[in-house]
Amino acid sequence: MKLPKIRELIEAIKALFTGPYTSKFPGKPHVPHKNFRGQPKYDSSKCVGCLACEEICPAGAISHRDEVTLPVPRRIMIHYTDTCIFCGSCEAYCIANNEGIKLSQDWELSFFDRKKESYETIEKELVLCEICGKVIGCKDHLIWIAERIGELAFSNPTLYQTRLKRFGLVDENLISAARDKSRADRFKILCAPCRRAMTKESEPDSEMV
Amino acid sequence: MAKTIIPIGPFHPLQEEPEYFSLTVEGETVVDVDVELGYNHRGIEKLSESKTYDQVPFVVERICGICSTSHPYAYVKAVEDISGCTIPERAEYIRTIIAEGERIHSHLLWLGLAGHFLGYNTVYMWVWKLREEILDVMEILSGNRNNYAMFKPGGVRRDIREEDIPFVIKKIDSIVKTLDMLKKAILDDPVLHARLKGIGILKREDAIDYSALGPTSRASGVAKDVRKDAPYGAYDKVEWKMIVTEKGDVFDKVVVRVLEVFESISIMKSCLLSLPKGPIDANLADIVPGEGIGVHEAPRGETFHYVRSDGSNRPTRHKVRAPTFMNLPTCKSTVIGAAIADAAIILASIDPCYCCTERLAVCRIDGKRMMNGGELIRLSVEKTEKLKKEMGRR
Repeated sequence: MKLPKIRELIEAIKALFTGPYTSKFPGKPHVPHKNFRGQPKYDSSKCVGCLACEEICPAGAISHRDEVTLPVPRRIMIHYTDTCIFCGSCEAYCIANNEGIKLSQDWELSFFDRKKESYETIEKELVLCEICGKVIGCKDHLIWIAERIGELAFSNPTLYQTRLKRFGLVDENLISAARDKSRADRFKILCAPCRRAMTKESEPDSEMV
Repeated sequence: MAKTIIPIGPFHPLQEEPEYFSLTVEGETVVDVDVELGYNHRGIEKLSESKTYDQVPFVVERICGICSTSHPYAYVKAVEDISGCTIPERAEYIRTIIAEGERIHSHLLWLGLAGHFLGYNTVYMWVWKLREEILDVMEILSGNRNNYAMFKPGGVRRDIREEDIPFVIKKIDSIVKTLDMLKKAILDDPVLHARLKGIGILKREDAIDYSALGPTSRASGVAKDVRKDAPYGAYDKVEWKMIVTEKGDVFDKVVVRVLEVFESISIMKSCLLSLPKGPIDANLADIVPGEGIGVHEAPRGETFHYVRSDGSNRPTRHKVRAPTFMNLPTCKSTVIGAAIADAAIILASIDPCYCCTERLAVCRIDGKRMMNGGELIRLSVEKTEKLKKEMGRR
């Protein structure tokens, strides 16, 4: 039998003392590096429900469901953890300063029931058109737009009323009072097609004349 | 002597990907070899036509788990070829760093598998242990051990943070020492010399005739490397040398790969040390109508991507050619004449990557597979026989 070469022997002895390279995983939890890309998680206080992440997601792991029949209509943002490829596009394209959805350090995503446990959801309040009842957008999204375009938002009652309601500057009483005085349709929260139709076609209210 | 046909596959004995080799042997010697492709059609090219330009890198990244940077790199180069934009220097450096990291881990993976296959399980364990360090480095740089998601047309998605660089360099340096020991251990081993030298020789002329790529061609003395021939990224800005050996046998292919790992480490290190400051994304505007090609020197050879644009958000045609597609036919020249016991390591010595290659199935309209080369030859022979009979020559 040939003697093993010295350098391999040294490595073998070293390995003997350093112990196994592999970690004792299930017993000792694995902590990933802070740069690790784990499961994306929504922050319901920062997310505005604009659906940019759904649009950009290359794997189609993000979808939404609008529940308009509820007393307070809601948009439910759904992130499917089993379809997600952890690319980080959602975070990169998030309009809310990349904070509405953020990659976390969470990587232990195994589950038993795919129908019940394979997704995570958050809920956002929706704003509906007063005429046709269609979805205009999430409340936070309209506020986000109003804040972003500044005073230009006052050209659009849908935007500024959604924003001012939050501060308590506009309440339902004021709006109903305005409705009796002037062109009520001007003060409605409307979707874009309804507003176009209203501006173009509707007759001025009789009280205004 | 009676001929025996030994089928290897559909699963190749070394790498568990669908592949069918049929070896015709006389006694112990292989007299003919046939490769059958097309067990795994994944529709990647068609899929990428349904994605936007920014989403396609994630699709092509998943063509192959090992070359998860090569395909996006070639793809983004093709898209940038269409739009003719210039990439920020920092992005070029980051791309180079990621590409070289991938080359290191791919070569180490192959080396470990080859060791395992030859019965050297210690090599397998040690090399894969080293590979873990590289994968950790990639996790720090890109956020994942594999499928780095770093590439986008016009730049990179993620910046390398300054505070990570010293730690990464320390980690790379720690690999070099052990790797050096391993290199000497492999290249000095008399058994490996006896086992690998002189088998599966791919002659220089054959390598040129078969258009072999990457380490397969460089082991046969054909100095062919996209990184040197048409420099891109930061490859012309840092010092490195192309590894070329002359004999073309399996041992030379091992040597080329082992030495290339050291070159890659030095490229990666000098790129990290001289990382220029600046933006990482050129913010590509709309893709103009046109067509572009992108090539990248993947660990296995040149990866080629062709993209055609009609000015919309999605590519109208995307063609991928992986290096194994060119390297696989060289088995006709290397395996024939070898002993059956050597056949598998010779077939594995090109570092075949079927998941890169296996995207194409030739179909007729009625959905039946067209004949393979062997059947076509048989038909041609039958026709000759028929003609001979008709002409009364027999």
